[in-house]
Amino acid sequence: MKDIYKLLIIGLVTSFGFVSCGDSFLEKEPLVGQVEEDFYKTEADAIAAINAAYAALQFELTPGGHFRWFWGDIMSDDSDKGGEGDNDQFTLKQLEEFEGPTNTEYLQAEWEADYEGIYRANKVLERVPSIKMNEGVKARILGEAKFIRAYFHYNLVTIFGRVPLVDRVLAPSEYNIPQNTPEETWALIESDLIAAASVLPKRSQYPAQELGRVTQGAANALLAKAYLFQGKFPLAKTAAEAVISTSEYQLDPEYKSIFTLVGENGVGSVFEIQYMNASGGNWGRNNANEGTFSCVFQRARGQFEGYGFNIPTQDLVDEYFAEGFEDPRLQYTVFREGDAMGDRGIFTIDATGGFPHKYYNRKSFNNKSEEAPFGDPNPNGGNNDRVIRYADVLLMHAEASYHTGDEGSARTSLNLVRKRVGLDDVTATGNNLLKAIYHERRVELGMEGHRFFDLVRTGRAATELADKGFKIGVNEVFPIPQFEIVKSNGVYSQNNGY
Amino acid sequence: MKSFSIKIFSLLACLFFLGEMNGQVKVSGIVVDTDNVPVIGANITEKGTNNGTISDIDGAYTLTVQSEESELELSYIGMQPQTFIVGSQREFNITMNENTTLMDEVVVLGYGNQKRSNISGAVSVVTAEEIASTPVLRVEQAIQGRTAGVQISQSSGSPGSALTVRIRGTGTITNSDPLYVVDGIIVEGMDFLNPGDIESISVLKDAASAAIYGARAANGVVLITTKTGSKQNKGFISYDAYFGNQSVVSKLDLLNAREYAIISNESYINSGRAPFTNLQDPSIFNEGTDWQEAIFTNAPIQSHNLSMNGGGEGFNVGISGSYFLQDGIVGGEKARFKRYTAKTVLGYDIKPWMKIGANVLFTNFKRNQLQENNEFTSPIIQALNMDPLTPVTKPDGTYAYSDFVDTDIRNPVNAIENTYNTYTANRVVGSTFGEIKFNDHIRVKSTYSVDATFAVANGFNPIYNLSIDSIDAPTAEKSLVNSVFIGNNTWQNWQWENLAMYDNTFGDHSIGVVAGVSANSNKAKYTGGANTNLPSNSIDDALISNTIDPIGSQSAYESGDEYTFFSYISKVNYDYTGKYLFTGSFRADGSSKFGQNKRFGYFPSVSFGWNIHKEDFWTMESISGLKLRTSWGRNGNDRIGNYGFSSVVLTGQNYTFGRDEIITNGSVALRVSNPDLQWETVTQSNIGLDIEFWNGKLTGTADYYIKDTKDMLYNAPIPGIVGALAPTRNIGEIRNSGLELMTQYKGSIGKLNYDIGGNISFIENQVLFLGGGDPTFSGNTFVQGAVSKTDVGTPVAAFFGYKTDGIFQTQAEVESHAFQNANTAAGDIRFMDLDNNGVIDDNDKTFIGNPSPDLIFGINLGLEYRNFDLSGFIQGVQGNEIFNASVRYDKIGGNRPASILERWTGPGTSNFEPRVGISDPNNNNRVSDRFIEDGSFVRLKNVQLGYTLPSKLLKKINVSKLRVYISGQNLLTFTDYSGYDPEIGSNGALDIGIDRGFYPSSRTVLAGVNLKF
Repeated sequence: MKDIYKLLIIGLVTSFGFVSCGDSFLEKEPLVGQVEEDFYKTEADAIAAINAAYAALQFELTPGGHFRWFWGDIMSDDSDKGGEGDNDQFTLKQLEEFEGPTNTEYLQAEWEADYEGIYRANKVLERVPSIKMNEGVKARILGEAKFIRAYFHYNLVTIFGRVPLVDRVLAPSEYNIPQNTPEETWALIESDLIAAASVLPKRSQYPAQELGRVTQGAANALLAKAYLFQGKFPLAKTAAEAVISTSEYQLDPEYKSIFTLVGENGVGSVFEIQYMNASGGNWGRNNANEGTFSCVFQRARGQFEGYGFNIPTQDLVDEYFAEGFEDPRLQYTVFREGDAMGDRGIFTIDATGGFPHKYYNRKSFNNKSEEAPFGDPNPNGGNNDRVIRYADVLLMHAEASYHTGDEGSARTSLNLVRKRVGLDDVTATGNNLLKAIYHERRVELGMEGHRFFDLVRTGRAATELADKGFKIGVNEVFPIPQFEIVKSNGVYSQNNGY
Repeated sequence: MKSFSIKIFSLLACLFFLGEMNGQVKVSGIVVDTDNVPVIGANITEKGTNNGTISDIDGAYTLTVQSEESELELSYIGMQPQTFIVGSQREFNITMNENTTLMDEVVVLGYGNQKRSNISGAVSVVTAEEIASTPVLRVEQAIQGRTAGVQISQSSGSPGSALTVRIRGTGTITNSDPLYVVDGIIVEGMDFLNPGDIESISVLKDAASAAIYGARAANGVVLITTKTGSKQNKGFISYDAYFGNQSVVSKLDLLNAREYAIISNESYINSGRAPFTNLQDPSIFNEGTDWQEAIFTNAPIQSHNLSMNGGGEGFNVGISGSYFLQDGIVGGEKARFKRYTAKTVLGYDIKPWMKIGANVLFTNFKRNQLQENNEFTSPIIQALNMDPLTPVTKPDGTYAYSDFVDTDIRNPVNAIENTYNTYTANRVVGSTFGEIKFNDHIRVKSTYSVDATFAVANGFNPIYNLSIDSIDAPTAEKSLVNSVFIGNNTWQNWQWENLAMYDNTFGDHSIGVVAGVSANSNKAKYTGGANTNLPSNSIDDALISNTIDPIGSQSAYESGDEYTFFSYISKVNYDYTGKYLFTGSFRADGSSKFGQNKRFGYFPSVSFGWNIHKEDFWTMESISGLKLRTSWGRNGNDRIGNYGFSSVVLTGQNYTFGRDEIITNGSVALRVSNPDLQWETVTQSNIGLDIEFWNGKLTGTADYYIKDTKDMLYNAPIPGIVGALAPTRNIGEIRNSGLELMTQYKGSIGKLNYDIGGNISFIENQVLFLGGGDPTFSGNTFVQGAVSKTDVGTPVAAFFGYKTDGIFQTQAEVESHAFQNANTAAGDIRFMDLDNNGVIDDNDKTFIGNPSPDLIFGINLGLEYRNFDLSGFIQGVQGNEIFNASVRYDKIGGNRPASILERWTGPGTSNFEPRVGISDPNNNNRVSDRFIEDGSFVRLKNVQLGYTLPSKLLKKINVSKLRVYISGQNLLTFTDYSGYDPEIGSNGALDIGIDRGFYPSSRTVLAGVNLKF
């Protein structure tokens, strides 16, 4: 029996051996990824952190769709929802008709994606300053983060109006901060962009492999947009001139090539969201894919293998004939029956599966040969999203100049845009000049996601969108997502009229 | 050997002294048990005398009695005594039944076994006999309907798919699966286990019984004990097999070709569009294609199980092997599940004071998987929604595509044929133990066990193209580039447990104590890759390396995670004269899933029992057993992802820079951390009563419980402005309460023995608190969005949507009702304006159905007459709703249920089927009670008729038992549900009772054999 007692002692000692090492036995760090305490230590970490903020720019389906063309084009008189029928993305149809569903996934997804971008930018602004690294790179990264934070706030304030501005990584106690006024949000956007413009490199100062990072020009251009939206015309004019005066940008020599692959990041590109045809992504939040869904969503159905959304209206097409002839930009903006849809075949109603759509958006079209031969075909589009083109800057400058009484500068900028496509100079003055600028914006920037916001900021939405049900004082902004109001425990209030 | 000598002596004595006496009668025979195993040493006595004998090693006996009027008494420990009058018969072959009164049954509990009569918690038991009475494909099915308070439902009827097990309701919204413990080893999932290897299943329902499993026992514990050889047994070999055929129970009534054309034409005309020219005359069409017929098939099923168990002085051995194969009623071999198992159990008393043992189970299974329960990709959805005008094949024999629907709705026969998804797993679950006995009272035991799984998922997407003219087919009907992927998943878990046990009796006091420590480690590793563009389109060549693409198109991944557990265990059983029972347990668990502050959780429990019938004052003889039980305890749940207490920065949030489009890494923490993350706890109180009449002829059990989940682990939604995913937090409270009743009656009429039993459970599930008003929407369906909502005051994942109030018969009715949509017209659904604000909007949505049943029940019947046996098993649920999302309303050209023929076509024509159209301005198909159906059903799960060959016959060929049977499963179902199968389980904790093209369970007819020698 003595042996047995020895064994017992060994057994007990072993058991308690466990106890003493119990705590380290229960310490487990992730195998994939690293805990945040170990991150934000090096320059590489800082670059990875800002890149993650850029990745939020690419979000389109998270999981609800929130494409720029949803808001800018479909909600306007430029295009209709399209798709397979009314039931195909029904609430998008309701949004388009200003019936204001407050709980659609599109609003929710836009809201979440914007704030996710803001969170990532704020992480950079909070954690990168203390990293020991090249100070020049650090300053640039902080400038990029401010631009990205401003860009997402710009989306929020123009789409939703009264939103909480988030200028820091929120602590749990701050989750229920209230909405700010648009003015407060605009103030943050302006200060962020001014700060960004002061530290960001010019486009030409970036090495080739960094193409696509935001620039001083992009910051000033977005600042011009922000001022213009608020009707701060002198400031808008100055900001636009800050872009123009650097000579960093020119109009692309050929309009037709802007929306092709060779036109990406061209001389006239001020801010583009980068995509490539590397697919393999998924539909969902945080599924980082490098491809865009925009191409497949806007291509025709049938043999063109798309979903047929964002159908240009007759009203838009007619605008291209407003001067009595067909504007040369129409053929590069809209596919009409009989047109070759790249290498995918001739556009006939039959070939699209019999859907009654006469037009499709050409500015988001990709050839079959441009798709990667593998993976999920949906996010396989590689087309960059041209958010701000130099032509836009010129036309903003024209508009701002007009409103500050400088009609000469207005005509100069306007006619630069017209000259590129071989149109005669506009000589009009007064209100006719303003109309000419508006017309030029619509045809130059058609189907690029600007129209709805242009109509709202210039006060023309009520008249132009009257037959779609636009109500003045209500539909300038969309509803705050109902679910966010619920989650705020009633801290948020719904927008007027919804 | 001593007892054997006595037997021989007695036998001889009997023969000598009694054999020749005058007027006397000599009777003889063999005594066997119900398994036809000889009963050695049974007492056979002549009533009222000292004359008697015992049966020998073959169960044989001979006894000379006074006269034909003599009465023989037969008895044996653990068996029911029998008496009979000799009469003219001289040979009595007697089958003794085990004395299985409920009270004497030994029940396996966590860390020790107990006689049923001494248990004070709420435990349900399923025995090997019950399992054998219904050939089950999976272990969970053995519990289904047989244990009160346990709801088992399918997540799919396809072969090899897991079942959802809910013990006493849905306790949490993260993961409500119970803890499975097989022979003391905590395991994940049940698909590796051969039901034929199971000796017993104990379901620990109340917190007190389960508390010994502490932190992981919040959803109840299923303890499975597998068969081992017994030291008392002489060896036996048994072989059990069955073969069967499965078929679909029923098909749905869909539009035929002519009806489809009528509806299509009317839809286009109603929407102001020209109908298809080729459909204009519906009378030229007949039935068209029956796509259901095209995908459903008869499918074979078979099972073989060979086991050899035995033992002797100081050792026991058990070896078994099995083979199981089941094809699917959709997809046949493409949905095949095939499993091999091999099991070895060894026990040896190596020293008088030491026992050692080992237990190894190896399983290999392969599952071919079709897409299922998915409204985009499942062949069933495609068959239900594919138009009947499209033929299965074109005239040239290749598969046809539809001109009317596209994208998700594709030719399902082609889709099945081109599906090559397999999941193959090799799993070893084994343990070794050593147990040392210091004296009669103290033992220590150390057990080391391993659960290792090596699984491979393979997929191949071949090239196919249904085009007539190379490219005309829609995208989904052509796959122009093939691709292959492989995923290797390994799980390696070990557990080391050291226990000390003390048992003693002091006069009327009995006490048992268990104390110990347990360490547990779980590691998972996932690796894999994919590639495209293989020159060969054959599945045999579908390897990643067989590509013509450069290496750049390959993708590979590697990831993994791990967590660990460390626990202190203690338990005390005490009883006083078997009248007053007490069990207390306490367990402390530490888990790596929680931060240092909150790492350990503490789980106490107490339970009391009172065997009232043992009291002196108890005089009612008819009530032979009466026990009152009550218990209280606390359990935990840690079923969440790892590292939730810390923010994990992940790579892969990439962006493309540079003219050459270089993908550049981005890193960020996607989820907010919660350093205070801790256990979810469940506190449960139970009160129960066991009653037994006439020595176990009639038994009954009743339990009532209240089970409160607190600090529920929940990724409660956080405001979007945070910009990261919600952390797992300890918020939320759920209450499940319920009543469980079980009863069993055994009786006989002449030679007919019968038993009838049943159980019924009433469950109420309610969310009490969600951390302050954040409801969770779930159950997304493509057509209609989220259909379920978890909110305070309603059951978990309750259906949420609009209430309908018939159909607008006239435009005037539209005008007088609350505003729905600018283009709402007569023939559209009228939705109820619950808030009376004149507009149908979000605020009019409400609770429209409960996916969980109010009550579940099971009834079992058994009949035995001579060598025949008949058993039946009925199961049902009552009071749950199903959301039928199997119709793709977004697909204009899709087929529809035949009920659409009853559509509204003018005032008074219909008040439930709206007008048809290719657009739906009123959004008639929004989430509403239109799609809610009653999910109650009663199902004849199983009927079995068996015949046991007479033992006399078998004896000659040395067979102790041979039984043949036929069995039918799911022969009858009574339900109002319009889909294939009302038995729809959950698809994750918050996705319950939604039919997205559910893979139905089959009607199965089996023939089988049980052989023992």
